[in-house]
Amino acid sequence: MMGLGVWLHELVSPAMEAIAPYLPGDVFPFFFTLDMFQRVLVASFVITVIAGVLGSFLLIRNMALIGDGIAHVTFGGVAVSMVLAGVPTLPMATFFAVVAAVLIFELQDRGLLEGDTAIAIMMTGALAFGLVALRIWGEGITANVERFLYGNVLFVDDASLDWICTVGLVALLLLGAMYKGLLAAAVDPVAARVQGIPVRAIGLTFSIVTAVVVVLMVKIIGALLVTALLVSPAATAQQVGKSFRSCVLWSQFFGLMSVLIGIYLSAEEDTGAGAMIALVAAVIFLVVVVSKSIAVRLGPAVNQRTQ
Amino acid sequence: MGDVAQSSSDPILEVENVTVRRNKTDVIRDVNLVIHPGEFVGVVGPNGGGKSTLMQTVLGILRPVSGRIKLAGGPPNSRQAFGKMAWVSQAAAHIPKNIRLTVRELVSLGLLNHNNWFIPGRSTSAQTDKAIAMVGLSHLADRDVNNLSGGERQRAVIARALAGEAEFLLLDEPMVGMDRASRQSLLQLLDNFCHEHNKTILMISHDVAAMRQTAHRMVYLEEQIWFDGPPPSFPSVEEIASLRGIQDVHGGHHYDHAAEHCGGADHATPPQVVVQKEAE
Repeated sequence: MMGLGVWLHELVSPAMEAIAPYLPGDVFPFFFTLDMFQRVLVASFVITVIAGVLGSFLLIRNMALIGDGIAHVTFGGVAVSMVLAGVPTLPMATFFAVVAAVLIFELQDRGLLEGDTAIAIMMTGALAFGLVALRIWGEGITANVERFLYGNVLFVDDASLDWICTVGLVALLLLGAMYKGLLAAAVDPVAARVQGIPVRAIGLTFSIVTAVVVVLMVKIIGALLVTALLVSPAATAQQVGKSFRSCVLWSQFFGLMSVLIGIYLSAEEDTGAGAMIALVAAVIFLVVVVSKSIAVRLGPAVNQRTQ
Repeated sequence: MGDVAQSSSDPILEVENVTVRRNKTDVIRDVNLVIHPGEFVGVVGPNGGGKSTLMQTVLGILRPVSGRIKLAGGPPNSRQAFGKMAWVSQAAAHIPKNIRLTVRELVSLGLLNHNNWFIPGRSTSAQTDKAIAMVGLSHLADRDVNNLSGGERQRAVIARALAGEAEFLLLDEPMVGMDRASRQSLLQLLDNFCHEHNKTILMISHDVAAMRQTAHRMVYLEEQIWFDGPPPSFPSVEEIASLRGIQDVHGGHHYDHAAEHCGGADHATPPQVVVQKEAE
């Protein structure tokens, strides 16, 4: 049976090959012609589209660092599956991530801890647990935390692509269904609750969706890139967007730009693709912020508050 | 208490002998309050007098240790109550600063209820636009709420409450940080809702003068309800003080606990607070 990712890949492949001749660079066009590199682009694009929605909500819920936090938490799960030989990695990592996300949500929801603190405790706790578990029971297994956390965006096989697209589609459907409820809960949770919106259930579902998506993305493209694609484009979007909806679209646009420019530069300069994409996302943010403040200073009539 | 013009319809809110405790002290004690459809009730009282506590209890956020609350026939947090009421918080304090949100987006959130919140994309823009027009913000409908003045933002939040079918609006200090003109027009707006749209309003305010001028009924809350009646007979600062003094001494049937609790602790501070707020 053909997976969703492979199907999508075959769908867009002819179009990618068609535009390849018009693209700059010596290596970059190969990303549009070679199968293996096409998969990288398709995966990055799908991730960027989800990250644009997820990141916009994370930002207004003050959870920008949860991507990084969850990524470190999953290391605990990975270590456990290494120690207990035969336990598959992805389900164990997902289990750890979901438990941590639920705990973080409960700590925030009950007002016991502010967002960042809860994330920091879960992140260091689970990471440390993983390291200690490997040390005590691992018997010679050496933990390569770095490799785990930074992934390799340039290696996406058919199975990974299928996973990304399937989980991505489910996540997008859930986020789409909860869109208004999530927005209402972030803007004014009390008013939303009084209206009959299940604010708690929505928040919990959102945390779990976030955890599952982040685990999958970390496995494939690495923690650095997940956080970069979740946060930087959404933050840039807030500088230019006028409504929440437009911020989501801008966020996806800036994410796609980061991916394209990042892959182009890394291909031509022969650097790590993940790091370059993250760097480009941060540079885009800086450029937008600086040019916006210059524009405001030069033209007082533009972008001014009413009254 | 009790000299309230009763309407023939069933009450929309019944608060019966409600006591709410926080950190082992009673914040409000033996509070009784009945509100009928179409009424505009203003709750005034000093800071820490329990106004917000009463509101949060009505909303179902806090639970009373004793007493009973009926909202539109059901307890708070029930299906009957949901959708009948809408909450207007201090908007300036509550809309996150790190969000881009147009007035239209904000107001359309008011259309959500327990049945339709998960149905994506079914925006009933006509209702949204009508609510925006009612508060006079049509020209700013596509503006970011964080770029509006305090008064405009408060109107936008009220429009959100009006967009749904809520009959009962609960407002917490909606006029904080507004200039005199905006306060006047907001009060007029609320007054219209009661008269022309038969909405019921329960509003917390520090602004005794404004409440006196607009509300149909005023409630003075300081741990207990010391006055509940029409604005013309709302007591002066001195009268409130003496009212409380008399109650403390005689310990009327409602105030048995008050007599033990209050003692000499509050002869000076409460009237001062009221004076301060009136002068604001």
